[in-house]
Amino acid sequence: MEQNYIKPPVEIRYADELKTLRDNDNGKKPENWLLSPKAVRTFILGGEVDTPEGKVKIPRKFYGNDALVERCIITLAGSRGLMLVGEPGTAKTMLSELLSAACCGVSTNTVQGTAGTTEDMIKYSWNYALLLAKGPCREALVPSPLLVGMEKGIFARFEEITRTPAEIQDSLISVMSDQILNIPELGDEGLVQAKRGFNIIGTANTRDKGVNEMSGALKRRFNFETVEPVSDVSLEKEIIIREAENMAKAGHIDCPVDTDVAELLAVTYHELREGKTSEGTVVEKPAAVMSTAEAVSVYYQTISHAWYYGDGTADLGILTENLLGAVCKENKDDLEKLKAYFRTAVKEKAKKVGGAWKEYSKTASLLR
Amino acid sequence: MEGIFKDSLFAEITGEAGELLKYDTSGDLLLFPVRHHSPVCSYQILRAVEEFSPTAILVEGPENANGLIPVLTDERTELPAAFYYFYKDKKKLVSEDAEDYKCYYPFLYSSPEFNALAAAAAKGIRAAFIDLPYCEILINTAKGKGLRTEKEKHSYTDDTRLIRSKFYKKLCEKTGIRNFEEFWEKYFEIEGLKLTPAEFCKNMHTYCVLTRAQEKDSELEADGTLARERHMALRIKEALDKGEKVLVVTGGLHSLGLAKLLKSGKIKAEKLHKMTPDIQGSFPTAYSYEAADALHGYASGMRFPAFYDGIMKRIVNGADPANVYNDATLELLIKTAKESSKKDIAISIADITSAQTVMNGLAALRNVSQCGISELADGITSAFIKGEKTISSAMPLDIMRRLATGDGIGHIGDKTHVPPLVADFEKQCDIFKLKYASVIPQEADVPLFLGERGLNLSRFMHRITYLDTGFATLTKGPDLKRGKDRSRVRELWKYRRTPQVDAALIDHTTDGFTIEEACTNLAARALTEHRRCQDAAQTAIDCFLMGIPLTGHQKELLYDIVSEDGDFFSIGEGLRCFARLCDLQKLYEFEDSSSFACLEKCMSRLIPALPSMANSPEETASDVVDVMRRMYSLTGSMLENWRDTLEGALLTLVGSKDKNPEVYGAAMGLLYALEPSRRSAAEDAMRGFLQGSEKVRMQGADYLKGLFCTAGDIVLADDSFLYMTDELITGFEREDYLEILPSMRLAFSYFTPSEIQSIAKAVAGIHGVKDKDIIYGDTIDEGLFEFGKKLDSLITARLNGGEMQ
Repeated sequence: MEQNYIKPPVEIRYADELKTLRDNDNGKKPENWLLSPKAVRTFILGGEVDTPEGKVKIPRKFYGNDALVERCIITLAGSRGLMLVGEPGTAKTMLSELLSAACCGVSTNTVQGTAGTTEDMIKYSWNYALLLAKGPCREALVPSPLLVGMEKGIFARFEEITRTPAEIQDSLISVMSDQILNIPELGDEGLVQAKRGFNIIGTANTRDKGVNEMSGALKRRFNFETVEPVSDVSLEKEIIIREAENMAKAGHIDCPVDTDVAELLAVTYHELREGKTSEGTVVEKPAAVMSTAEAVSVYYQTISHAWYYGDGTADLGILTENLLGAVCKENKDDLEKLKAYFRTAVKEKAKKVGGAWKEYSKTASLLR
Repeated sequence: MEGIFKDSLFAEITGEAGELLKYDTSGDLLLFPVRHHSPVCSYQILRAVEEFSPTAILVEGPENANGLIPVLTDERTELPAAFYYFYKDKKKLVSEDAEDYKCYYPFLYSSPEFNALAAAAAKGIRAAFIDLPYCEILINTAKGKGLRTEKEKHSYTDDTRLIRSKFYKKLCEKTGIRNFEEFWEKYFEIEGLKLTPAEFCKNMHTYCVLTRAQEKDSELEADGTLARERHMALRIKEALDKGEKVLVVTGGLHSLGLAKLLKSGKIKAEKLHKMTPDIQGSFPTAYSYEAADALHGYASGMRFPAFYDGIMKRIVNGADPANVYNDATLELLIKTAKESSKKDIAISIADITSAQTVMNGLAALRNVSQCGISELADGITSAFIKGEKTISSAMPLDIMRRLATGDGIGHIGDKTHVPPLVADFEKQCDIFKLKYASVIPQEADVPLFLGERGLNLSRFMHRITYLDTGFATLTKGPDLKRGKDRSRVRELWKYRRTPQVDAALIDHTTDGFTIEEACTNLAARALTEHRRCQDAAQTAIDCFLMGIPLTGHQKELLYDIVSEDGDFFSIGEGLRCFARLCDLQKLYEFEDSSSFACLEKCMSRLIPALPSMANSPEETASDVVDVMRRMYSLTGSMLENWRDTLEGALLTLVGSKDKNPEVYGAAMGLLYALEPSRRSAAEDAMRGFLQGSEKVRMQGADYLKGLFCTAGDIVLADDSFLYMTDELITGFEREDYLEILPSMRLAFSYFTPSEIQSIAKAVAGIHGVKDKDIIYGDTIDEGLFEFGKKLDSLITARLNGGEMQ
């Protein structure tokens, strides 16, 4: 059944690992958590679990700053919410899903923040047919993910919180302060108290900063963690290969992994994001988001093309065309910046390193 | 700690020498491995001293500072302090370059070496350093290795090997730890407090032996390690042979080497060279926490020295080691919150509580029994930084790091061994109430002419600056050397004591016993070395600022330099300096008759040379004009009796056949200033330029530049020069005009803005327009503008279309 979904939730995707960890977890758990903080750490950052059958290896799922993950886990065990901020494509959402699935067994209890998010979506709304038929009663109430989280003692995830108008965001303040949500329509029964284990994980894009800045009062109720892009090229290459492989597997694309192509892409993304090549040449940073997630997407597109239209091997021309599509989205100057990168950095690498870089350099003519 | 190394590992890796590394309190020898500035090592050393009861404590350190040990352990001495070692390789024993070498051996309260020495002093047992003398270490070290690497600062306590080891990286990977410091803090600093000295010693030996196993013997020989170990082993053997019960405190990496040498019994004595105190020595000196941490870049000890010093102080004062880190980190957390609040970063009690919760949670998650500095940093990151982590939002983290590093500076109690210049420096600072016991930059506002103190303080600051100590920087005030801002009556100094200040003072020890004496001797030496008038004059200004009078011999020397220098410009600069000195003598209460004699001598040398400067090349013409102006100005004040002679020299100059137009113009201007009736001559000369060939006309601009520089008022007297200037400018083709434009711009820069405005009005008048007409231009008809705009866009569209086709 699992493979029929495009993207199965984390708790289903890693159900076996979670079960292994749960069954062999001797650590102290915060109330209502399924795993101890140590086991959550192992689930996200990888490690070995001692089981009666021997050691079981748990693969790493989040790359980058391990201490950040540890801080996230500890924050969630406390009384403050966790706010993950960072550039788009830095795996904030993935981290929040992993944390939710590991701690509560549910990663789908989510509010998606948009410009159109209303207070109803955050607190509760009504099934109007039932409301008219039975009046305000619990049956007619449609609970929001926040209310569900409070009642069950699990995490509620609030994605892209800064896309939501500030006054709507502020409706979280009373919930986070008092751990109580009042539903006046239900009278005496309308006071919902948060069960232990409840917390909120928010995510916010730093590119959205200024769209709807969070109020100071709300900020005080969160601990902030800034998720940085991957700083190590070889690690970025590893992530591209791993993620693209997973996507290919899910899409039944049986293409061999071309590590050279993954490296080209990792280096290109890394250097354009940093504005400096490994040789020390300064290059202009495109306005577009140069995240690892984007690189994965470009790589996946390339191998999909190779699978359906080619001979199964990644074509560098197609890679460049996909790169063009990914980079030149919002700003027309980005095309010139990409061309300049090919003229300088790629050309230099073609001379020095040769191999795939030489072929890659030849595809510069496709950038138009 | 348990679980990191297997019990059997120790015996496996140490082999036969392992028995000498065992913690055996019944034996005669205990080799105790340490990491520099590590509180846990200090704590365990103190316990080992009690358990082992040695009769001698031998410590790794150059033995030529043995006499200074009592200074360090003196109760009046406050740490951080350091031993400063110097060696002048005059005998070329280190290399053919005959360089000077220096290094520090810093001590903090958390230094195990200090605690070992202090314990010996407290128990009245012998304590000694056992390493090779500093010069011998250098002699035994290959170029580019160890203490001979190309670094600005050298620390004897170098931990590079401990940190660069690949071994710890593997351990980090295995234990899920980010870096060496975090690894060290967790497994040694915090968990090590729970161990007995014997267990701690074993763990340290195991780690260090595994680290050393990755070093090649050739490397150890090249950086002098093996030679040093041979010498240390020899000293240990001597002590054992005397029947002493010896506790040896060395860096952990040496332990196995020493044990092997002692086990074999064959120790080759290193050749020691005879050195005199003027080429090799050591002094105790105050040191700063900042330097102890800054040197960390060169891997010389722990990060955050003030924090770890605080840990050791707490333990010594009886705090429970099982809770000492929790207390210290909580205190630092609160201090960070307070300091942040002072900088308008709102941190509430709830934030502090949240940070502490995170810290404790992380300590539990990471299996560490107390919160260390890593957990503290994480707690602050999590709870104090609101919003995205950027340079500005991460300020609480910077504040915490600053507090943990510390800004204190030590103090040497027993002044007997303090270098005389450092002692005098501190004495003078006390007199002037300068805050020198902190590395935080301070400011001193010095009113020069309000009472005696101001001038004396200024002189002290100039003296300490002359010694190139880096202690003080003049940020505002009269700059007599460059001739700027001389009308200012206050000086604003920024000053800051760093170990480098002490180092520079120690380097000058051979120059004198007081700062004044050192400056006097240095200035005297400088005068004997100078050959140029301008350099000698600058030294005279230095002496003037420092309030150091020249002796009769020095005055003669100065006069001779002025008399013998043949460079027009150097003497011209000397003229400026001596004039300044004569001018300010009274104000600065500094009588010096030699300045006027030198000034006159400069003038007497310049006047005969002046006519020969008529044909100066273009690039030096402006400098010649400057000197001429200076000479003219002085003949109006201090050197009145030289006016006629100057006039004669100028007349000779303008009578020369080949003249640089700028110098010519300046000379004509000065002659006009001396005698206004010469105006017509200046006009004639200008007319000559106007009537000449194109090339000569272009020189007219330079002539005007020189003329306006010395006699700008000539233009304002009547319109004739304006007419000629106008004729000159309008007579040029566009390209030629652009060529003379820079000179013309410079020529008019000698006028004030209001003079330029009145000249502009007059020029506009010549052309029958008003200044406003030039500024605003003609009004364009709106319809015409619209038509033009439309036409423009049509043409652009057509052109673009054409291109596309």
